[in-house]
Amino acid sequence: MRDQRRKDAVWRFLTYAFVITMVVVMMVPLYWMLVAATLPQEQFLQFPPRLIPGTAFLDNFAALQERLDFVRTIRNSVFIAVVYTLLSLVLCSMGGFAFAKYEFKYKEPIFYTILATLVLPIQLLVIPLFLLMAQLDWTNTFRAIILPWAANPIGIFLMRQNMKSIPDALLESARMDGATEFQIFYRIALPTMRSSLAALAIILFLFQWDLFLYPLVILESADMYTIPIGLAQLTGFQRIYYDQIMVAATLAIVPMVVLFLVLQKQFVSGILAGSLKE
Amino acid sequence: MKGAGLAGLAGLAGCIGTGDPGSGGDGGDGSDGSDGSDGSDESDGGNGMASEINVWGWDVAARALMITSEEYESENDATVAVEEFGRSAMKDRLQTNLLSGSGAPAVSMLESVDGPSFIDTGSVAPLTDEIEEAGVQDDFVSGKWEALTVDGDIYALPWDTGPTAVYYRRSVYDEHDIDPDSIETWEEFIEEGQKLPDDQYMLNLPEGDLSGVWRYQFRQLSGEPFLESGEVNIHNEKSLRVARNIKEIYDADIAANIEGWTSAWFSAYGDATIASLPSAAWMEGTLRAELPDTAGDWGVFKIPALESGGPRASNWGGSNLMIADQVSDEAHARGWDYMEFSLATKEMQLAMYDEYGLFPALETTYDDPVFDKELDFYDGQPARALFAEVAQDAPGYRFTADTPEVSQAIETELQRMINGEQSPEEAVQAAAETVAENTDRDLA
Repeated sequence: MRDQRRKDAVWRFLTYAFVITMVVVMMVPLYWMLVAATLPQEQFLQFPPRLIPGTAFLDNFAALQERLDFVRTIRNSVFIAVVYTLLSLVLCSMGGFAFAKYEFKYKEPIFYTILATLVLPIQLLVIPLFLLMAQLDWTNTFRAIILPWAANPIGIFLMRQNMKSIPDALLESARMDGATEFQIFYRIALPTMRSSLAALAIILFLFQWDLFLYPLVILESADMYTIPIGLAQLTGFQRIYYDQIMVAATLAIVPMVVLFLVLQKQFVSGILAGSLKE
Repeated sequence: MKGAGLAGLAGLAGCIGTGDPGSGGDGGDGSDGSDGSDGSDESDGGNGMASEINVWGWDVAARALMITSEEYESENDATVAVEEFGRSAMKDRLQTNLLSGSGAPAVSMLESVDGPSFIDTGSVAPLTDEIEEAGVQDDFVSGKWEALTVDGDIYALPWDTGPTAVYYRRSVYDEHDIDPDSIETWEEFIEEGQKLPDDQYMLNLPEGDLSGVWRYQFRQLSGEPFLESGEVNIHNEKSLRVARNIKEIYDADIAANIEGWTSAWFSAYGDATIASLPSAAWMEGTLRAELPDTAGDWGVFKIPALESGGPRASNWGGSNLMIADQVSDEAHARGWDYMEFSLATKEMQLAMYDEYGLFPALETTYDDPVFDKELDFYDGQPARALFAEVAQDAPGYRFTADTPEVSQAIETELQRMINGEQSPEEAVQAAAETVAENTDRDLA
């Protein structure tokens, strides 16, 4: 009995030690980024590195803003990511619902074809997509960034898996009560999917937020840049503006952090839902 | 110097472009500068040149082009819009634009090391005729052309070059009685390096950039990684000589092992833990900007020879300007006109050198008095004259689309060599075999 308790205590200690170590490993670069954003470039290059925040944040920010309108860049990124996430949530949940709850010809082959597109790397799609957008005269527009990825295969897959768990009887009884198919989807199915939608929202938002090569090719003028493109412009060859990059990177994570904090509870249960309910 | 350079422009205006002041650009945003009305633009006097072109570059190079574009615009009725990018961002984007045949600017920067891989896309316009007609080929250092020439055609006009030298800290050399003038070979360099105490290093030899060291020394010996017929040639006598040299430096315990461009690296040069830095002319700008306290304590000497009496010139880096073949004839013509103005005229090259430290590949600039100037940064040494001498002596180099394979294989095998896992002979042989296998080539 006492042995057991001691064993538990040891285990708990080891678990905590491991978790804390991992947290430190993850947080140190983040902390260093925050500190570096407040240091002038000379102090950034000091060795051993300085770990106490300095006072140059606003100076660095002003220098950054002068090189590149970064506030505008953040606004562009947020706009693109929000519009994309909303649009894609609608399309993915509709698609997922169709694959989960309707029977139609070639349903399985179509679904697996959609899944199969996941193996295509973005690098492969960039040139054909760019040519397409150039023909549509859509280069240097946000719609060219948003639309090609709107029906996201991961999203459709995730929604299909989760929507399978909705009892058919529930949908059937709604149908008996005279609900239209859209009402069934919107009033019955969707409300039960809140946590999955939250998880998907984060995945979609993050996907669009991190997208680099494709917007780099499509967005031509500096006033249209997204954050990753803006950051890449700060890396020259002879001189790399670390101070400005750190300020930019610090600002760039703020919207992501906010989104995570808001949706984090649903995110965890939403991800688990897909894995447990099969 | 810049003032003198710009003053000379008035005289040049007559022979470059039309010099006809007009109403400026047409404000269109056509990314290839060919928006319809260009060809018939009245103020251009029907010379068939677009009235507006875009130019892409990165970092200080883009800033330098802004100097020449301003001058060009003031002499010509045309708008030259220079866009500044991040380095790798621009390469990714330009390559996509070249491959897809759409969206590339009229003129863009092309690093020599990327020359063949960009030219191989088949989307870079040959400039052989223009260069011949302008008669400027002999005005540039000869070592620049090889990387820009494919199958007899030239695809870009040289801009700057990276003549090599060893930067050294005068105070450290003085304190330990090291005489830079007495160092002629690497053997002597190593010998002098032994005079330093244990906590000071003669140079830095970072694991992770051995291939950079190998390349400048291999080029110093006029080594070529591939034969003209395509076979892999990095296991020859020259390559072996360089590998042995790297091993000797390493075994002599005079080298620090600090990853380049990190804060530890800057700090080691800042406090003179490392006394010398083999690099190229462009390093001066970095040292000035990042280690301002060390100004006045630097000197340069030519990189040591591998054998007594051997060559002491090599090259590290350098860029050019190219024209995408997807742009209209009018944009092409304007692009060339602007390129010739920026790169083949002494005044513009000197202005860019003065302002941004881009060492001109235009040999005709070297007799300018600025090259003999005694510079405070080097404690009065006229370092530019030394760089100019090295630039003219530096051999060419056959970069190819497979150059990255060479770097990677050399890096891996030389690292195993200095770790004592294999001999220099085995290292270069293994590297050559890896490259041959990965690139489907034969061994020379």
